[in-house]
Amino acid sequence: MRKINELEKKWYYYRLKKFLVSAVGFSTTILLILLAYYFYIIQKNSSLEPKTIYQKNVLGVSKIAIANQRLNDLNKSIIVAKKLPIEKLEEVSLEPIIPVIDMAKEESIKYVKKSQVKRSNSVNEHHSKLVKAKANSYLTAKELSQITKVETVPTAQPHVTKKMKFQTTSENYLETMQKKFLKSKNARDAILISKAFYKKSNYSEAEQWALSANKLDKNLDESWLLFAKSKAKLGKKQEAINILASYYKKSHSAKARVLIGQIKTGKI
Amino acid sequence: MSNQYKGLKDIFIDTVNKNNYVELESATYNYSLLESSLVKPLKMILLFGKPGTGKSMLLNKLYHNLKEHYEIHYFDAPILSEKAFLRNIYESMSGQVIPENMRVNFDGLLKYCQKLKEKREVVFLLDECQLYSEPLMEKIRLLSDTRVVKFVITLHKTDDEDIIAKEHFKTRIWEVIEMQNATEYDLELYIQKKMIQKGFIEISNKIKKKHIKYIHNVTKGNFRETNKYLYTIFDIYEYYEKNEPQKVSGKRFSKKILEMAAIRLGYINA
Repeated sequence: MRKINELEKKWYYYRLKKFLVSAVGFSTTILLILLAYYFYIIQKNSSLEPKTIYQKNVLGVSKIAIANQRLNDLNKSIIVAKKLPIEKLEEVSLEPIIPVIDMAKEESIKYVKKSQVKRSNSVNEHHSKLVKAKANSYLTAKELSQITKVETVPTAQPHVTKKMKFQTTSENYLETMQKKFLKSKNARDAILISKAFYKKSNYSEAEQWALSANKLDKNLDESWLLFAKSKAKLGKKQEAINILASYYKKSHSAKARVLIGQIKTGKI
Repeated sequence: MSNQYKGLKDIFIDTVNKNNYVELESATYNYSLLESSLVKPLKMILLFGKPGTGKSMLLNKLYHNLKEHYEIHYFDAPILSEKAFLRNIYESMSGQVIPENMRVNFDGLLKYCQKLKEKREVVFLLDECQLYSEPLMEKIRLLSDTRVVKFVITLHKTDDEDIIAKEHFKTRIWEVIEMQNATEYDLELYIQKKMIQKGFIEISNKIKKKHIKYIHNVTKGNFRETNKYLYTIFDIYEYYEKNEPQKVSGKRFSKKILEMAAIRLGYINA
């Protein structure tokens, strides 16, 4: 009888041990699942970001900070930007191949031609046409009044010098845009800068600006595409395909799929 | 009620008795193989397997089934003394009783066998032959060479020693029958049949597949271990039935008692 009681006690101890082992095992499994899920979510959310952070750490300097520095260096040579409000640039600069300031130049050239023609006409007619032109220009009333003032001066030369200041290259465009970006921190601006660099075949800059745009807005289709295209151009085709593939998984973007095909076939 | 469990535990007492033999598919196959081998002109037949796989039981059944048709003798316990072994062989064959102060000369026995060539064929069933000495095994081999005496021997299969590789077996054994541990299905049949044969149908129905699985898991399908385990289980049942009947009054077979018996026999560590 005593033996059976002892055996029963042993059995209770055995069950307790078994329960504890199972409980610990179960808790560990649950914990591992939760951890795995947590890391999965983190990874899913970060997408491109971990690469950016890595690059930042390696270089030790933020790309935006670099851009900032460059702009400060360039600041002295910028003449035009003060004349034209940046908001106006934003309105028209959907396609960076056609720099906004070039459009302004076009306007000013037209204006010069018109003014030359008008100079031969009466002063009243000249004024009235200038007023009409104002509606189609990108200039503010204040600027217009300044320009008008210049135009009213009979000598054409100083006026032409001013126009020359408007003469911009895409370099100017980039400078302007970069400055604008520093103020606005707008992803679209970063995209435009990236596009401009891409057109200039400066793929590493294009890549960095696409990255900056992506950081600001991960859902911006073009940031992914530009980033991948720049990578591909830099010879990192597989990396580009991987980035696009991961983006395609998330967004099902037709453009991303097409771009993958293009990279694979060597069109890019 | 307590008597019921006493009777039940007793059927699992490990005995080599033809009445306790349970027909199982694997055992039936081995039995038919063994029976057909006896008809062949073989000198020795080896039945081997791990302890508790049913070798002795099979040999016992063979003896009881064929003793009317063959001149067959069964040595269920090993005779370790050479003198006693030769005496037993001679007495079995001649039907004479040798006086205590006399001994059987091996050469004389060999000549006696040779004289009987093509006149008689005697079968000896020897259990637990791994206990026989090398010289005695050599004498068994020489006797089998006369083709008058045929030996069916059982051996334990051990992991560190392959007994079949021994010289005297390598050249002479023509039939080797290996016995395996029971499968889960075999074990279920074994337990059910054993209980039903003795009329414990109600308790037998309580034992479900999961219990059989547990039993098979702890005993590894070894019949001897299974008998021991079931004996212990019903021993505990008997105790509870007598002293704390509420603990075994349920309709289900007690997993607790299964585990308690496993703890008692050291199958699991508490």
